[in-house]
Amino acid sequence: MDRQAILEELKKVLIPYTENKQLLEGITENTDLLKDLKINSANLVDVIIDAESKYDIEIDMDAAERMVNVGSCIDVIQEKMKH
Amino acid sequence: MQSVGNDIIDLRAIDTQRSNDSRFYTKILLPSEMALYQRPECAHITFEHFLWLLWSIKESGYKYLKRGFPGLVFSPLKIIIQCIDLPAGTVVKYFKDGQWEGDVTGEDCYKGSCIFENNIFYFKSKLYAELIATVVSEDENFENTQWGIQTIDHADTGHQSKEVRSFFLKRLNAFIPHNDLHIEKKAAGYPVIFNGAKELKLPISFAHHGNFISYSFVSGYC
Repeated sequence: MDRQAILEELKKVLIPYTENKQLLEGITENTDLLKDLKINSANLVDVIIDAESKYDIEIDMDAAERMVNVGSCIDVIQEKMKH
Repeated sequence: MQSVGNDIIDLRAIDTQRSNDSRFYTKILLPSEMALYQRPECAHITFEHFLWLLWSIKESGYKYLKRGFPGLVFSPLKIIIQCIDLPAGTVVKYFKDGQWEGDVTGEDCYKGSCIFENNIFYFKSKLYAELIATVVSEDENFENTQWGIQTIDHADTGHQSKEVRSFFLKRLNAFIPHNDLHIEKKAAGYPVIFNGAKELKLPISFAHHGNFISYSFVSGYC
């Protein structure tokens, strides 16, 4: 899967945890999950679990720590899908 | 480290099914922390309330640590809760009055200690039927630590943020009256307070979730 395809899928993962859904229309790889999308930190754990289910991957603590913006989420998902 | 941290959880807004999913809670709790739930003192609280109690301690700890480690990313498994003591004869009550404010020292709370790398700090938590609130300090006795919890009428982020600042400033006026106080946020994400153009060395912390807001600060630095 290329990065753009993962980004489109990732939007669907983020929908339930983003209060202002319109913000998702304009997301880029630099969009910060906490500061820009205002996702609360507890919901970041939900995002990780939903991404694990969607891509059938396992995201460990070190990888989860890197998932602060859309680009780094795509990095982690791509890496884990290769394994 | 001169800092403070607090957190609040609206228990009516949590996903109970997910809270009991091992894929979820193993990303938050270490095996040593899971073992704390087996103690007889925890028999009166549900597992999901225990989980969110520990979450609120870790989140408060993260906010506390952020002042010393501005680049820190919240990683719940790296803030380790070492012990929890419960007040004697604990009965979970309702948060009926819609507001509570006070000094932390005299409060009957859940309390204990946490560690992050070489930093040890302490927590006090209140558990009501509808909410969990925690405050964290480097001072085990919580001298001069002020705390406030309030119910708000609706739960959108902009409203929560505005209400918690107004609730806090009202209380701070009792300590620093007749001043030109305003709040800004540092790039690292934690709030600071200004009197006119001067930044005050007064650690403050805000939290909001669902229909609850809370603040904490150390009045000793006023």
